[in-house]
Amino acid sequence: MATDTRVILICSGKGGVGKTTLTANLGISLARQGLTTAVLDADFGLRNLDLLLGLENRIVYTAQEVLEEECRLDQALVKHKQESNLSLLPAGNPRMLDWLKPDDMKRIVDMLKEQFNYVLIDCPAGVEDGFKNAMAASQEAIVVTNPEVSAVRDADRVIGLLNTNSIKPVQLVLNRVRPKMMANQEMLSINDVTDILALPLLGLVLEDEQIIVSTNRGEPLTLNSVNSPAAKCYLNIAKRLQGEDIPLIDPLKESSGFGAKFRRLMQTKIF
Amino acid sequence: MNSNNQKIIINIGDINDPKWKIGFKNKLKMLRSNNLEIDSENIDLSCKDISEIIEIVNQYDCKITGFCSSSPKTIVSSQSLGYKSQFSIENNSKNTSDANKKNLTFSKTHFHQGTVRSGEYLESPGNLLILGDVNPGAKVSAEGNIIIWGKLLGIAHAGTKGNSKATISALQLRPVQLRIAKKIARGPKEKPQLGHAEQAKIDSEEIIITPLLTTQFNS
Repeated sequence: MATDTRVILICSGKGGVGKTTLTANLGISLARQGLTTAVLDADFGLRNLDLLLGLENRIVYTAQEVLEEECRLDQALVKHKQESNLSLLPAGNPRMLDWLKPDDMKRIVDMLKEQFNYVLIDCPAGVEDGFKNAMAASQEAIVVTNPEVSAVRDADRVIGLLNTNSIKPVQLVLNRVRPKMMANQEMLSINDVTDILALPLLGLVLEDEQIIVSTNRGEPLTLNSVNSPAAKCYLNIAKRLQGEDIPLIDPLKESSGFGAKFRRLMQTKIF
Repeated sequence: MNSNNQKIIINIGDINDPKWKIGFKNKLKMLRSNNLEIDSENIDLSCKDISEIIEIVNQYDCKITGFCSSSPKTIVSSQSLGYKSQFSIENNSKNTSDANKKNLTFSKTHFHQGTVRSGEYLESPGNLLILGDVNPGAKVSAEGNIIIWGKLLGIAHAGTKGNSKATISALQLRPVQLRIAKKIARGPKEKPQLGHAEQAKIDSEEIIITPLLTTQFNS
């Protein structure tokens, strides 16, 4: 149906920098804009995209059963409760770790392409087989990193691998930016990161305590459009993916004045 | 037959020919149980192509010790799969390597455009000219000089075959480690001034970094 489906790999190299959170929030944001979106959890050994989306209890089949023709694709796809444009497909069963091959990944994504405008692939950490499988079916990529030396180093390695596999374009999301630390130069600056990685910056995501709350509840921040700083960042990223020209937020301005006070207010409001 | 260092050459264009595998397999049949170095000349091989080659080679009980190619793409792909890879220069490089020692300015220079990223490794039997940054975690080495039109933040090794006259130059020299011939030095702790190209060379048994003066080249 959709002919120009975009298949986007969301990867980082290092674990815990926010790949899954970005996938979930970007999925919701795109779906809210009326785009049919599939999120494919390629990190099936330690899968938790379903947890973030609050869909754990609805999973019956995975892509593995679809490929083995034990069920149809639409049986394995889990539609989101509130956002009907968004569907989740777990790539496999956590108990069967090594069944997936790059060709299987391509077959699954080809099936998804027929139904969706966007396919977001949540990549596992590391650069081994899991990453290679996830990469096999992707056309473009978003590399997530934190303003830390180790995360940037791993992202750099991953970008090199993406380049050798001719995945283009590769864009950067700088996650967990703490404006105050950046202002005091205790953290790598945006320029430090983009200097090394030499990639176009798709967006910044500000550090936000509400992320933890939303993860535990299984409701991505962007779903309830609360005025959280991170949710705003995710929405901006989704819009930029669509080609909208939205200026990057300036973390230095966020660290003082109204922005910070407002955010503190918001943080106290939750619970 | 020299069993330790057999070289197989896959000719240009063969990879696009669906029959290249048959020709390749025939060559392997004659060389059973050998360590191979694959020379892919100037063909661009992706990681996938290389994995295919590795699979075929394994079927014939052979082992690949490394790749050499004059295509940077092939080098980077084989690097990322963990193989030792070397830039080859298309003409016979044996004669030039002797000339290297006498006069560095006349030796072959390999040119690489683009960032050398963490985990990648570039090697050249002549000089190495890089248009782009060498990121932390990356390593570049050359038998001759290394010139980087960009930042050097990783490891550079010039004069790998022992040439102590080799130099390393970069627009910004902030390496993790510098090596020239057999000398090893840690990178400077303080950040260099921006906008001044610098050069590392051996001076009285120590690696020193000096501002790069173009007048040096006129003499």
